[in-house]
Amino acid sequence: MNITPEALFEARRHFLKLGAGALVSSTAISQLLAETPLDMSLTYTPDPNPLKLSPNTLEQITNYVNFYEFSTDKTAPVKLSQKMKTDPWSVGFFGDIKTEQMLRVDELIVKFGLEERIYRFRCVEGWSMVVPWIGFPLYKLLDYLEPNSKAKYVKFTTRHDPSLFPDQSKGIFASIPHPYVEGLRMDEARNPLTFIAVGMYGKRLLPQNGAPIRLVVPWKYGFKSIKSLDLIECVETEPLNTWQAIDAKEYGFYANVNPAVDHPRWTQSKERLLGKLTKQATLPFNGYEKEVASLYAGMDLRKFF
Amino acid sequence: MKALLVLLALLPLGLAYYKLESAIDPIKMLYNTTGIGAITLLLLSLVPSSCKRVCGQNFLRYRKTIGLLSFAYAFLHVSVFVALDSEFDFITIFEKSLKKPFIYIGTIAFIILLFMALTSFKKLFAKLSKYHKAVYLALALALLHSFWAQKVAGMFEYSVVAVGLVLLGERVWAWQNKKPL
Repeated sequence: MNITPEALFEARRHFLKLGAGALVSSTAISQLLAETPLDMSLTYTPDPNPLKLSPNTLEQITNYVNFYEFSTDKTAPVKLSQKMKTDPWSVGFFGDIKTEQMLRVDELIVKFGLEERIYRFRCVEGWSMVVPWIGFPLYKLLDYLEPNSKAKYVKFTTRHDPSLFPDQSKGIFASIPHPYVEGLRMDEARNPLTFIAVGMYGKRLLPQNGAPIRLVVPWKYGFKSIKSLDLIECVETEPLNTWQAIDAKEYGFYANVNPAVDHPRWTQSKERLLGKLTKQATLPFNGYEKEVASLYAGMDLRKFF
Repeated sequence: MKALLVLLALLPLGLAYYKLESAIDPIKMLYNTTGIGAITLLLLSLVPSSCKRVCGQNFLRYRKTIGLLSFAYAFLHVSVFVALDSEFDFITIFEKSLKKPFIYIGTIAFIILLFMALTSFKKLFAKLSKYHKAVYLALALALLHSFWAQKVAGMFEYSVVAVGLVLLGERVWAWQNKKPL
């Protein structure tokens, strides 16, 4: 059963009313529409947390990020992103799917409902955290989009808008090529763990964490979990993800968390859980081996790293 | 005056100690503080002799102090690697970490600084001071190491390279003009 949470239902009605007004064309109303404060709190099904993970604090998760569209510094994006407008925000769905279309984040929330997923998150740099994400599994979205038989991969693209992201306006001096691109094989994308997040700790995502909508792939290094999504495309060939494009020797397409395969510059066998001065062992597939190892049966994960 | 210099140079360490409790990624924070401290002081240790040639001011008496402070930071940096990051797991250090160019480049730079620190006392310095030119190699390796440590080099990495080039460039210029190095 699909029951729209009451708060969302009300918000949507408000939005639609304003939208209808805006159509009749009054700049005052479109102004009002633009200024409507986003209801930041979310209604969702809590994660029963069978693994008994203790999430990092909101303060830690929201103040230590890699978001190169703002800065290569871990804390700078927090300040640089506070004015970022993340509503309204539409995501485009294109490629080998039944109907190419664009949908607003609010529509996606209403369509697929929200649940919580408390996941480990492991960065390729050697730090990790536990995040109580809120969102919906990607397979629900894919079921809705109905990819055809040509769709072997899903390609994700971060929004390219230099007015939102300072690094994108730096041209050749940008820290990385923009827009940021990531990809998953269709079976990886359809795995029940693969998640589209719109919030955490009961609230909408903050800009520095990839607002308003991002991908979360908990068994892969964090760079696969692309932020501030603009496009989701179902495609025939393996997308060239940004970090692989920058340095294919160091970053592959799969990026599965693997303590047995070192990054060329640092070992991956242990990790620093945010807030801790001691280290902990990194688990194969970041602790989700049972759920995902079968996806890679017969593959040499040293070669396909 | 020297005491003041030492106090000033050690201030970031005091700050790091104070922030340790609330740091989100404490090991990384300590790596950064000690690494940035070591490179900055290493660059500063090249300033007195440039300064003497270029503007005639003699600060050479501070050179050894700055160099030793740089070594102290580098020593702490290595300690973070051995004690906190590797948790004294010497098997992993020797079998895995030291094989990685980014780490052995840093290790070579540290060994040079260690040699210079050990031979900085009057007696040995008189004999071995000519080898202290190895500081240029240590600097070059340290800069490479700091570049390599990042996924993408940022402002700090480019800035220290720029300052390093100016200081080394001045030495080349002085050498070509037959000024004493």
